[in-house]
Amino acid sequence: MFTLSSREREESKGVSWVKREVKIYISLGILVVAVITLFARLVQLQVVQQEQFGKESEKNSIKKIIETPARGLVIDRNGKVLVDNRPSYTMTITPFQFDKNLIDEIANLAGIDPEDIRDDLADAKGTNRFNPIKIKRDIDFKTISYIEENRDRLKGVSYQVESQRFYPNKFKGSHIFGYDAEITDKMLQESTENYYRQGDLVGITGLERFYEKQLRGEKGSRLILVDVNGREVGSYNDGKNDQKPVNGADLFTSIDADLQEYAEKLMGGRRGAVIAVDPRTGEVLCLVSKPDYDLNAFVGTPDAKEINRLFNHPEKPLFNRVIQTRYPPGSTWKMMMALAAMASGKITPTTTISCPGSFTYGNRTFEDHGGYGAIPVVRAIEVSSNVFFYKLGLMLGIKDYHDYSSMFGFGSRTGIDLPGETRGLLPSQEYFDKVYGVNKWSQGLLVSLGIGQGELGVSPVQMVGYTAAICMDGMYIQPHIVRKIYNSTTGIETPVEVKKNQIDIDKKFFETVKKGMYLVVNGTGTAKNIKNSEYVMAGKTGTAQNPNGNNHSWFVGYAPYGDPKIAVCVLGENAGWGNQFAAPIAAAIMVRFLSGNSVDVFNENSKVEVHD
Amino acid sequence: MDRKLFDKFDIILFLAVIGLLVIGIFAIYSATQSSVNNAGFYLKQMTFAIIGLVMVIAVSYLPPRYISSLSYYAYGLGLVLLLMVLVFGRTINGNKSWFFIAGFGIQPSEFAKVATVMAVANFFYKGDEENPKISPLQLLIAAGLVAVPAVLIKLEHDTGTTLVMLSFIVPMLFFAGVSPFILFAVITPVAGIILAFINIYYFYAFLVLLLVILYFMKKHWLISAGVFVLNVLSGFSVNFFYSKLMPYQQNRIMAVFDPSSDPLGSGYNVIQSKVAIGSGGLFGKGFLQGSQTQLKFIPEQWTDFIYCMIGEEFGLIGAGVVIILFVVIIYRLLNNAYLSRNRYMMLTCVGFASLFFFHMFINVGMTIGITPVIGIPLPLVSNGVSSLLSFLLMIGIGMNTYRHKDIFLS
Repeated sequence: MFTLSSREREESKGVSWVKREVKIYISLGILVVAVITLFARLVQLQVVQQEQFGKESEKNSIKKIIETPARGLVIDRNGKVLVDNRPSYTMTITPFQFDKNLIDEIANLAGIDPEDIRDDLADAKGTNRFNPIKIKRDIDFKTISYIEENRDRLKGVSYQVESQRFYPNKFKGSHIFGYDAEITDKMLQESTENYYRQGDLVGITGLERFYEKQLRGEKGSRLILVDVNGREVGSYNDGKNDQKPVNGADLFTSIDADLQEYAEKLMGGRRGAVIAVDPRTGEVLCLVSKPDYDLNAFVGTPDAKEINRLFNHPEKPLFNRVIQTRYPPGSTWKMMMALAAMASGKITPTTTISCPGSFTYGNRTFEDHGGYGAIPVVRAIEVSSNVFFYKLGLMLGIKDYHDYSSMFGFGSRTGIDLPGETRGLLPSQEYFDKVYGVNKWSQGLLVSLGIGQGELGVSPVQMVGYTAAICMDGMYIQPHIVRKIYNSTTGIETPVEVKKNQIDIDKKFFETVKKGMYLVVNGTGTAKNIKNSEYVMAGKTGTAQNPNGNNHSWFVGYAPYGDPKIAVCVLGENAGWGNQFAAPIAAAIMVRFLSGNSVDVFNENSKVEVHD
Repeated sequence: MDRKLFDKFDIILFLAVIGLLVIGIFAIYSATQSSVNNAGFYLKQMTFAIIGLVMVIAVSYLPPRYISSLSYYAYGLGLVLLLMVLVFGRTINGNKSWFFIAGFGIQPSEFAKVATVMAVANFFYKGDEENPKISPLQLLIAAGLVAVPAVLIKLEHDTGTTLVMLSFIVPMLFFAGVSPFILFAVITPVAGIILAFINIYYFYAFLVLLLVILYFMKKHWLISAGVFVLNVLSGFSVNFFYSKLMPYQQNRIMAVFDPSSDPLGSGYNVIQSKVAIGSGGLFGKGFLQGSQTQLKFIPEQWTDFIYCMIGEEFGLIGAGVVIILFVVIIYRLLNNAYLSRNRYMMLTCVGFASLFFFHMFINVGMTIGITPVIGIPLPLVSNGVSSLLSFLLMIGIGMNTYRHKDIFLS
């Protein structure tokens, strides 16, 4: 094998052919021994024991089944189930065993065209004959029992059970709950834990996504004995090796199902957002983003056409306006300015500022809707004077403007337990230096910022956090939806941690601001149209200038005035004045929550033309 | 056809490689075609097999000195990639050895195997084969060259590939000219530890055999006694250290030696794999007709357990052909090592032959239940781009050795 001519040997001085030859023979010797071992074993398995293994593979084989547990439920503050599961049955045919004479009977049973079954079988030709083909989804119990009763005759016909999401209530809650979908290749690759397999359902948006780990539970496995057709004939080793799946944990939320349904109804077909919280705890009572969508569109086998429509809809129904929009807050910002100016000592509650009908800074004139003379801050909030706050903006300066506002959560995420929240935009010295260049921007920018316009961008969830903090005299609590996570299988309760923070501003300044908000509704202010003698509300309207269309309408408020139990923020996109759209809806939600009664929101009386 | 075209072309090696690639693509198709998500695997494997074969031919034409001069750079790159994967890697099936670049999974450990063989060969290429005089320091450095990537791979929890890293160093040192007695003194305690672990009586028999071999080696009695004592101590220390481990750690080690002790984990695969191969018989059940394969009794069969699909659907004939093709590849790599006058190429070929041998023996062995289950792929057959391209790179260098067998490296 390894021989060389004498000439080759001579030419190859310095290479020890002989020694190398020995080493090669030793290596080949090891290779031969190893290969003989492998062949001997193969002959033992495939020739000597072939009959035994053949029987084992044909008759009973052990198969490992991965069991995916049902996802956890979502429950409202009164124990009402908001997101449930239900079993869904899919009829299948396994071509290997299926008798084609049964096609008509099966088609009749499933209520489909026999040609469809023939097409499915033709499509499956050339592929795995052991693999069940799905014939019909969501079959009823009558069909299942028919299959069971005629099991021996209907060879190859079976059904699979899957757990599906089920929404038992009339309202949608789409932006709270979110939807699940089959995990994508990209998500599989990016997942750092070794849990998901292809075909698994995973939360994509909303609570389903945020609490994915708690909701999904833990997969289990079962060893079963199956026949050659993959049909289960018993359990292996009496199930001693099985691992039970752990059901997902349930989310006990603070959502009030009744209020949620009512708020969705109030918003109707309009575009905008509503969020209400309990200011004492930060618990979210209802959360609506409009337009919304039907979560059922994502259940089972979603209709690709419908999904595409939702994704490409010009009004962006999948977009959660409560946490993802970034609009200027308009006049609802004025309490922020008042608090910052008082806390930093620029004004006192009694300082009066002269408010003529307009204000000129440099060569630019800023308009107001009226002249009010020399007024203190309470009156300025009540009548929503712009000139007062233009001046306050300039007095305050960018540093105090930014620092005090960030205490109320602006410019950062509130940390609400939903994915995809925006930070908004709170301008600072650094921000303006970056955008315009150092010393290239004028203090005039503060004039617009003073009345909640300009570059400032806030989300409704930030606004409700701010409103709740004002009515609680500076106790800022992170808004959150889930109160506790409880796993009924394991009995483990996971507490939900909520950030709380007492803002360091004197209580008397909050009293001043709250007095102004009281007068907005109960005095001669901009929202006197929503005044309710039984449930005393306080609040502030706002209108965000929109260069691309009609203005956005804001309202923030709380009730009852003396003992706050609910704080609300309503945003109406392109809905005009704050008092015409946002304020009546907010008022109705507050009254509904406190009394349980509906209020006729858009009655003739409430349509008073009042400037903002 | 012009005979000269194939004169320096190792056509036997090349055809054996193509044979394995084709069988592998059919096997992957069969194991995945019923799955919606993985049905395209065979197309990806086919694409990269073609790209890889082009690379094989290109590499076979490179001047050998280019390859040897690249060795340390390749090794350095391998280490950097292994470090990066430790920091940024993703975990798949418990191994944190994956990178994802533009959606492609890359396993740097596969590339590191090739690079380490090249680095060790480069380290030894200057020695005189008649009289190698390998110093203890050189041995230490060579061991370090292998140990560094091996430890990094172990940190990624990829035990299989770590063992692979240790498989080629002994044959390479042997061919580099390290005294067989030194190698003997290093290997025997390892073998002794494994035997003592399986059964203490195997270990006693091993000690007797060791005494006989030492007697015939006729070394100084002090040295022989030293080797013997080393063996006795290492063998008897096993049970002591084993008893100090936590029960779950003991279970993990037991499962490697005795799969039936872990019927839900690796043991389950071996039981099903044996049924699949055994039921295949002499001629197999036919392509796409294997119930074990098609009913997915073996999870992720297209990777490490691909061989049992071949055994089930193509029978002893198919399973045997695969082994014979491996024998041809290993034989040709050794043959090219033998013929080469370039010590670097000779040593790389020996290292690659060891890698092919170790992978083939362990992988086939675990599917038929005679070797421990450690997750390593069947070269050129298992689904996986990183592994495929790494083994084809070895083939390219092996073919290069044949083409340039008459050229000295100076």
